[in-house]
Amino acid sequence: MKYAKLIRRNLFRNKLRSFLMIVLMGAIFFLIAALIQILDAFDNFDTGGAGDRLVVQSAFSLAQMLPYAHEQKLQQIPGVVGVAKSQWLGGYYKERRNTFAILTLDADKVSALFPEMNVNPDEMTEFVRDRRGALVGQDLMERFHWKLGERITLHREIFPFDPELTVRGVVHNNVLASVLYLHQDYFNEALKWNRVGTFWLKVRDRNEMPAISQQVDAMFKNSEDPTETFTEKEFNRQFVNMMGNVKVLFGTISLCSIFMTVLLAAITMSMAARERVTEVAVLKAIGFGRRLILGLMLTEFVITTLVGWAAGVGFAALIFGSVDMAKVTMGFLPRLHVAGSTAAICGAAAIVVGLVAGGLPSMKSANLRVVDGLRKVV
Amino acid sequence: MEALVQISNVRKVYRRDAFEVPVLNGITLDVPRGDFLALMGPSGSGKTTLLNLIAGIDRPTGGSITVDGREVSRFNESALASWRARHVGFIFQLYNLIPVLNAFENVELPLLLTKLSKKQRRQHVEAALEIVGLGDRMFHYPRQLSGGQEQRVAIARAVVTDPTIIVADEPTGDLDAKNAQETLDLLRQLNAEFEKTIVMVTHDPKAAQHAKRTLHLEKGLLVESVEEQTAEA
Repeated sequence: MKYAKLIRRNLFRNKLRSFLMIVLMGAIFFLIAALIQILDAFDNFDTGGAGDRLVVQSAFSLAQMLPYAHEQKLQQIPGVVGVAKSQWLGGYYKERRNTFAILTLDADKVSALFPEMNVNPDEMTEFVRDRRGALVGQDLMERFHWKLGERITLHREIFPFDPELTVRGVVHNNVLASVLYLHQDYFNEALKWNRVGTFWLKVRDRNEMPAISQQVDAMFKNSEDPTETFTEKEFNRQFVNMMGNVKVLFGTISLCSIFMTVLLAAITMSMAARERVTEVAVLKAIGFGRRLILGLMLTEFVITTLVGWAAGVGFAALIFGSVDMAKVTMGFLPRLHVAGSTAAICGAAAIVVGLVAGGLPSMKSANLRVVDGLRKVV
Repeated sequence: MEALVQISNVRKVYRRDAFEVPVLNGITLDVPRGDFLALMGPSGSGKTTLLNLIAGIDRPTGGSITVDGREVSRFNESALASWRARHVGFIFQLYNLIPVLNAFENVELPLLLTKLSKKQRRQHVEAALEIVGLGDRMFHYPRQLSGGQEQRVAIARAVVTDPTIIVADEPTGDLDAKNAQETLDLLRQLNAEFEKTIVMVTHDPKAAQHAKRTLHLEKGLLVESVEEQTAEA
């Protein structure tokens, strides 16, 4: 393109301003890319289950445990094809900074109720056979360089129980990549409580889930341990909701960031255009038409925002690629990456920011009367 | 001699808020092809306005301006821009080079609007810079040139498309005597050797003496003309 040189030279006519502008854009698009990926991680967390499970917890709170005796009654409910007990354990490996999600499960129910764990069948057999066996998410395996058959000791956080485990299998599921599972029986043996935090029910027909939920809660309504039953998605969403409406918050931050970017970019681009009033008048005098001026200036401004986008999204990709966010956030977030769709959304936003912020100054320049521009002393 | 520019009863009125300020009050003038015309007059006399109208960067309030047989005063903005690109070369008092482009690139600017190939553009630019004596300063930026050299680059930019007419607004107004003389010599050379039609606005009588003839404006009217003056060396 024969105008490329003109555009390129104008882009960097004020190097400091261009640099700061690109840094600003980069920082904003880094933030937006990160927020989108975190939201995406929450979404994946929501949809990680198979969609055919219900979770039964105490009606008082998740911290309140339910008696084992509930299990037999739950199994008898028509439409329920499987029941597994599960308990959240706080704990860490060696040091407190190595905290991650530790859950107990009825080992013999894992294959049937949680097929999305994608555990090798031989490894699953070993896990079921070994009461002190553990299934470990692939990120934890990498993070701690664990190997199958390796003996590990976890340390207590909530319960008076330091599990001594042998790694028997690897969970291949991105959402569960930072979770460790151990036998419910091993936990119960150690504490002899015969109580558990949740029951997970697999149902025959998803359409029956609302009715089964009601039936479960009605069954225990007048007992000492009443229940509250959720779909798996609702259950998982509780954790996100505990932090407030994170999605709205992140979305608002993203929109505010884009709005601020547009304003700051508009100010900077107006200054850049104002500095060149006489030059634009000269270009128009020698025959550059209105549309050409408009196109040149908008191209220049959009390139600026796109360079910022590339810097910000590239930096995000670099950071997420080299820093394990699961480790940094102690398993709260999975390992993040910049998805193609996120890069595309940010790229589209960069183009819009360039067009919106640069639109007014470009239009003013394009519509400038030559005689006015030549008279102007900037 | 054939009239290249025909100005017929041209009026120009500027509006300032609620007031109307008449600048040109019915100018009629012919500029023959190959002429070197100097327009003189006190500030506010309308000489730059007349130059802008001839160059097609402003429109008259009344009357008509015909250049090379085409009534440019009736062109719309887009047509005027295309016409200027092909037919008008501009020389400004403050040179008005683009500071981020070097001499070569500044001179090349008007050629970007043509269909010439890159190679052809380069040949034209080199020829124009050779004519103004800056063949060895092609890749210098405006900040690396003296005022006189900058004005010579501006002249090269004005002639590179081989325009029908060159308009110069106080081309020596920001130059010292030596550079002013060189610039005027160059303009006269363009007129004499290349038969370029030049209309120049100036305050300086010495500069005006380089033109073939001088017209005086006062309060928007032509008041005097000096025909076929002898150019000073």
